[in-house]
Amino acid sequence: MLLADCGSTWAKILDTATGSLEIIQTRELILRDTVFDVATGHSGRSRCREFKNELIALAEGGLSLVDDADFALVDVGGRDIKFVRFNGRKVEKLDWNLACGSTTGATVELLGKYYGIDFTTLKQADEWVNVTCGVFGMERVLEQVSLGNPPGRSVAMFIHGMVRNVYNFVGRPERLYLSGGFCENPCFVDTFRRYSQVEPLGRTVPLEGLKVISASDGKTV
Amino acid sequence: MKSSSSKKKLIGYFGFPRRDILRDVRDRVGFDVPLVDLDVDHGAPDSGVLPVTTCRIITNIIDNAMNFRGRLAVVVAAVGEGKCDRGRHVSFLLGNMGFEVVESRFPPEEFENRELVFSTGHAPLADKIERIMETVVDPSPQRNMPGPCEPTHGFWGVPPHDFRVLELFPPTTHVYGWTRCVEAGRPGDMELECRVGEGVPTVFFTQSFCAKQDIARYLAEKYGGLAIDCHREINDSILAKVEAFIRLS
Repeated sequence: MLLADCGSTWAKILDTATGSLEIIQTRELILRDTVFDVATGHSGRSRCREFKNELIALAEGGLSLVDDADFALVDVGGRDIKFVRFNGRKVEKLDWNLACGSTTGATVELLGKYYGIDFTTLKQADEWVNVTCGVFGMERVLEQVSLGNPPGRSVAMFIHGMVRNVYNFVGRPERLYLSGGFCENPCFVDTFRRYSQVEPLGRTVPLEGLKVISASDGKTV
Repeated sequence: MKSSSSKKKLIGYFGFPRRDILRDVRDRVGFDVPLVDLDVDHGAPDSGVLPVTTCRIITNIIDNAMNFRGRLAVVVAAVGEGKCDRGRHVSFLLGNMGFEVVESRFPPEEFENRELVFSTGHAPLADKIERIMETVVDPSPQRNMPGPCEPTHGFWGVPPHDFRVLELFPPTTHVYGWTRCVEAGRPGDMELECRVGEGVPTVFFTQSFCAKQDIARYLAEKYGGLAIDCHREINDSILAKVEAFIRLS
């Protein structure tokens, strides 16, 4: 069974028969004619036999990976931020930031490629720039660079501004679980730990959710 | 009211004008002249009169008025606390653009206390909201009234520009907010507008750039609901957010 979480910039594909996980850029996915059995994510709707809601996949994945009764889970993607808070393992609040503040994740990737930044070694910045959205944030980074700040430090300031946005968006919890590609960005995670106790869960939380949902639908996963 | 090609006269209105004012206008213009709710999307082209950062409902009023220009015998405009500042503004604009405008303010001493048949009834949400809005013109009992039900979900707000979002809700959804105030005959009653069912998972809907966003966000936080706003048409992501809330709450 092929499960896929097809985001706007990255696609995560799980073959449940072999357990193999493939993570590719969504632009590569567009060139393939693969039809998934079950999929979620912005780019998955037209590439699957059965589509599942992104927030539901995230929530079910979080419940399968976290044993806590009460917890907050945020998925920071290329295009948007999804958030679910559980109380007694029941959904207490959820939200999905789409318009304002969107595409900040994809902007970090664009800036990193443009300036040749290695995010595994990028140091976090004490200061931040206001990241109203990807476009406004990028303008701030270009401004910092033109003022003489090194590109790496300027991008770290963008990440810090983005962290503050996410932290405010999810209601400033003392502790939260992080899902998505930013789990693999130490600068992002370290910066977030200035504000909250962050537990990275990796990039496959929605895929875990698809497994749970598919099993509950009676499918062999 | 799908087409503006017919040359028949129309009486336009927006918001919830006082019924006696509507009745007087109809008496003067003719009871056979159709009424058109200018708040609603009738497929009018973009007039470009208002800033793009205007609530879609207010934009509908101006776009519809411009599209029906020449046919609108009169516009009955709700401009009191039962509408919003921008309702008063578009009334001013329409008057200055040559439309005949009759303004209506709904004072609290004229509030009614009608039974909430549709707001608390068991029926598709879009049908209930449509029938509530029909009571603005004629509040007399209708056929096929829904029976009451316990709420499993709630919808708070004004009738949306794009009704597709309503299709996601189960028929056991209770209607709150301004729409409930309309059914009760109490537009501008803040206490009733802010009253929702404790423990009922409720979606607090506003059009983007509507002043009611302030209240929606506050109430969503207070009652653990979901605040959503949408400019123009509903998109798939907003539908997905509502679907997830209904499924998971």
